Amino acid sequence: MPPKPNPTLYSVSKTFMWFAITSFVLLLCLVAMVYLDYNREWKGWQKKFIALKVEKTQKDLAEASGKIDRSQLETLTKQHAEAVKAMEAHHKDAAAAEQTVENANSKAVKAKGIYQNLKQYQDSYRYFFEEYRRENDKRAAEYSVKLEKVIPELAKAKSELETLEAQKEEADKTLAAYSAKEKELQKSIDKLMEDKTRVERRLEAVKPTLAKDILNAPMVDFIHPTLQIQQIVLDNLQDDYHFAKVQKVDRCTTCHLGIDQKGFEDAPQPFRTHPKMELYLSATSPHPVEKFGCTACHAGNGHSVSFTNAAHTPNSEEQAKEWVKKYHWEELEKWDAKMLPMKHVEAACAKCHQNVLEVPKADKLNEGRRLAQTQGCINCHKISGMESHWKVGPDLEHVSSKLDHDWIVKWLQNPQDFRPSTKMPRIFHLSNTSTPQDIERGNAAIESIAAYLAKNSEPVELSKPSVKGDSAQGEKLVKDLGCLACHSVGDVKAGTFGPELSGLGSKVTQEWLYTWLKNPKHYSKNTRMPSLRLSDQEATDISAYLLSLKNEPFASKAAPKAKPEVIDELVLTSLQGTMRLADAKTELAKMSAEDRLQFLGKKSISHQGCYVCHSIKGFEDAKPIGAELTNEGHKDIHQFDFGFVDIEHSRAAFIHQKLKNPRIYDQGKEKDYYDKLRMPQFNLSEDQIDALTTFVLSLTEEKVPMEMQKRLDLKEKETEEGRLLVSKLNCNGCHALDGKTGLLRELNEDKGNAPPVLDGEGAKAQEKWLHSFLKSPAPIRPWLTYRMPTFDLTDDETTTLVHYFANLSHENISYQGTVLPETSPEKVAAGKELVEKLQCMKCHQVNADSAAMGTSFLAPDLILAKHRLKPEWVKKWLTDPQVLQEGTMMPTFFADGQTPIPDVLGGDTNTQIEAIRDYLYQYQSGSDSADSSKTNKK
Amino acid sequence: MRNKKHFFAFILSVMAVSFLAGSALAANVTGKIAFDGVAPAVEMIKADADPRCKAVHPTGITPDQVIVNSNNTLKNVFVYVKTGLEGKKFDAPKEAVKFDQHGCQYNPKVFGIQTNQPLEIMNSDDTLHNVHALPTASQSFNLGMPIKGMKLKKSFAKPEVMVKIKCEVHPWMSAYAGVLDHPFFAVSGDDGSFTIKGLPAGKYTIEAWHEKYGTQTQEITVADQDQTADFTFKA
Repeated sequence: MPPKPNPTLYSVSKTFMWFAITSFVLLLCLVAMVYLDYNREWKGWQKKFIALKVEKTQKDLAEASGKIDRSQLETLTKQHAEAVKAMEAHHKDAAAAEQTVENANSKAVKAKGIYQNLKQYQDSYRYFFEEYRRENDKRAAEYSVKLEKVIPELAKAKSELETLEAQKEEADKTLAAYSAKEKELQKSIDKLMEDKTRVERRLEAVKPTLAKDILNAPMVDFIHPTLQIQQIVLDNLQDDYHFAKVQKVDRCTTCHLGIDQKGFEDAPQPFRTHPKMELYLSATSPHPVEKFGCTACHAGNGHSVSFTNAAHTPNSEEQAKEWVKKYHWEELEKWDAKMLPMKHVEAACAKCHQNVLEVPKADKLNEGRRLAQTQGCINCHKISGMESHWKVGPDLEHVSSKLDHDWIVKWLQNPQDFRPSTKMPRIFHLSNTSTPQDIERGNAAIESIAAYLAKNSEPVELSKPSVKGDSAQGEKLVKDLGCLACHSVGDVKAGTFGPELSGLGSKVTQEWLYTWLKNPKHYSKNTRMPSLRLSDQEATDISAYLLSLKNEPFASKAAPKAKPEVIDELVLTSLQGTMRLADAKTELAKMSAEDRLQFLGKKSISHQGCYVCHSIKGFEDAKPIGAELTNEGHKDIHQFDFGFVDIEHSRAAFIHQKLKNPRIYDQGKEKDYYDKLRMPQFNLSEDQIDALTTFVLSLTEEKVPMEMQKRLDLKEKETEEGRLLVSKLNCNGCHALDGKTGLLRELNEDKGNAPPVLDGEGAKAQEKWLHSFLKSPAPIRPWLTYRMPTFDLTDDETTTLVHYFANLSHENISYQGTVLPETSPEKVAAGKELVEKLQCMKCHQVNADSAAMGTSFLAPDLILAKHRLKPEWVKKWLTDPQVLQEGTMMPTFFADGQTPIPDVLGGDTNTQIEAIRDYLYQYQSGSDSADSSKTNKK
Repeated sequence: MRNKKHFFAFILSVMAVSFLAGSALAANVTGKIAFDGVAPAVEMIKADADPRCKAVHPTGITPDQVIVNSNNTLKNVFVYVKTGLEGKKFDAPKEAVKFDQHGCQYNPKVFGIQTNQPLEIMNSDDTLHNVHALPTASQSFNLGMPIKGMKLKKSFAKPEVMVKIKCEVHPWMSAYAGVLDHPFFAVSGDDGSFTIKGLPAGKYTIEAWHEKYGTQTQEITVADQDQTADFTFKA
């Protein structure tokens, strides 16, 4: 038999087979798709968190049931059972009572209907009666009759209703009495079990159940799953995707599930509670999560719910390794806004907290900002919104009166050779300028700078001390007067605000130092060094001491000499910048040796930017040389030139390395001398580099909407101005103020002999007095060896400080003088008696007797009080001086609120304190009393 | 059976040990503070500025920083148990330590006090004194006492050796309080001797403190017999 003819052109069986195979493969693909879509990283974390939460709730439950008083519960349950039994026994009576209630109720409802009906009639009659009467219509009489008739009917209906309502209430009470006991007992039991029940309910809510599993099952989990992506949509914040701005959406809480819940402080990540709940997340904190989200501060990709794609950034290489192992983390090279590593997270604060010197609680950022000013970073680098407030280095306009040529040459070789703690960075002979040729070039530049400075320096008249100096006395004065608030000397490591004074004997002359000490502004009009109003003897003694401190190794070193041919080479290179080689050569030939030196000096100063930190003649209007850093924390990573340096390609790593070795990115590059990196080598510790890195990372032009920024009101702005001045003048070198400890106060064990605390000064001192004191300080505390310096403040600066103090103390400013509280002559007389009995004058009197007792005996002259102190403050001071000025020698005379003088003003402490105060405001001087002064006036 | 016997023996020994440790095994530590060297020259302090002080000391006040007794021993040395009592608790006595300002001098000049034990401060002079205590661990205080015969009560919350007390009206006046959380301390007297009473058995470090000559320590082991611990301070 011939084979059956195949009606088709293909093999059916084969087709079936292939169909079966492809169907199977497609099915597998579908299953795989569903599985991959279903199996998300974040779901795993949510399940783990549920397990953690169940475990925690179970613990809470065990604790809650442990707290229940077992015996009490047993008794109550027994009583409850009995009550139920008793209730059941009276079953019939209860049913009868229920019937009575029902009857009474229906009657009352009926009566209420009648009453309301009549009331409506009455209202209607009254309306028509009034209307017709006004229109003089005859029908008024008709309605008058109707109204007359309905009034008594209504009264009757009302009284009936009230009777029935009373009956109903009575019946209710009878019924309730049957079940009252049972209900009360049940309530007590519920109360006892309250905590446990609550935790049980919580446990019920978090426990996984079959229903939840079904809701979360693949394919049906679109309906109402319990595992869900959590997201916070932020109305006022946007993400910048270069060409589009997108509303910020943070999904971090999808995995960081315990972040805003107390009780997960020790839980493993990602479930841990935020460590600073008082500052972030919670509704009562200044940064509630609904308003700020997470990535506004932490940065990173808020949309993502995977560990890697969220752009988590490790703190260190170890952490990176750990993450790779634990979370399969990899670095997102293409993602711009990576999370800030935790150690630099404070950088984000600056986005909103601009125009302030310090951000509360952001210590690292604040330290970075402080260093940026004190190290001169912002003198050289433009940062919009952060102009420098003073030049960091000393004026060099008169430098030839202070330093000789060789000293300057040796200093420029390496400033740390003379003073290891100096802020002056090393500029020459660094890693990219260390070939023999470059060292010669460096020496030529140094020589020429010294020559330029000498030529462009105007001499200052110096005076010679007229007395003989005592070095030992000088050393004592340096300690006693408070020089250490800013300076360290010898072995005493104290202030770092001003330069360390060791080795000064190998730097300056006696005439210069004496003149400087007598009046620093005479030599340098912009110096921040104040005048300490030193006598000739004091200034001579201090100079004798400081000049005895030598730096022999530095002094004995010879200054390297520059080679003329190298000077010529550099001059020629510079000239070539603006002319052809042949012309440059002609120009060079025209110059004398001195001209060449001066030319190169000017070129070198402008090339290295010396003038950004020092005032130098000829550079008054020169622009800073550093790169602008306004957006450095946000600059595209590809714009950083890592050169051949093998480090992690991140902004933080670049900045850190740059601060550590500013010339490193020239490594392996061939560059002309004047094209090499110029940033000098600063003398920074690892912590300082870290803080500065945070600071640089904080620099961004990112626009945060105004309503999200921390905006300062007028008073806050004034306070900020004051803060800036306080940091410029280094008030904290001596005084504790505004959350900072005073350095000299800290160094003093006996706080009674330390510079005073200035917290609360605004509440203490009258504005007028404070203003004049700051302008021209005079001794107040005769026993203090420390001397408040004269800062030569302008009127504006003084006013700024007065406002600053007032604002810090929440005081209103008044220059009119203080309004004295009302008093009476009797009260003042009692005050006088108290002052005598308490023997205040034993200390508060400056006379020969008290002087004989020794310095600790001299308290402020009370004559100062009325112009200096605010009356409310005097009251507080007299009550407990230690609270206002810790460690003060002024004792309290009213220990535990009790007066030691019971027979004046009825022994009332408060009235006595007021009386003393009132007397002080009328007090004239010495033995004069208020009364005698009045007679004197007559 | 044998186990039971052992058990009884164990219980008995535990009882015995605890009984002994509790009462019988305690001893006194006595000693003398010898002084080696020449006492510093006495320079009288003038009290002219306060007539009340001058009336008591017409020729001036003898400085009380270093007092060498006639038997060449040192007065006002504070001796106390520094370590060895950790973890033990001792209640503060209700009875106050009395501290007087008399003749423009403090009496006692050096004393010990337990934490939270009341300190009764008295002014027996008809002049103003202030009592400025400068502890670092506890709350400091500075009390003005202008009335003769007035008394005030204070206490120290935390142990601290020594707390300086001074009077700013009369700069020569200073006293020192050794604040401890146990009662095992003493101050050397007019014969340079001291006795720390009823110290339980154990190993201790005792320290002797003097205002001018600093501190010295000794290790001692206390069982049931009284111990001696002598110190020598060199000028």
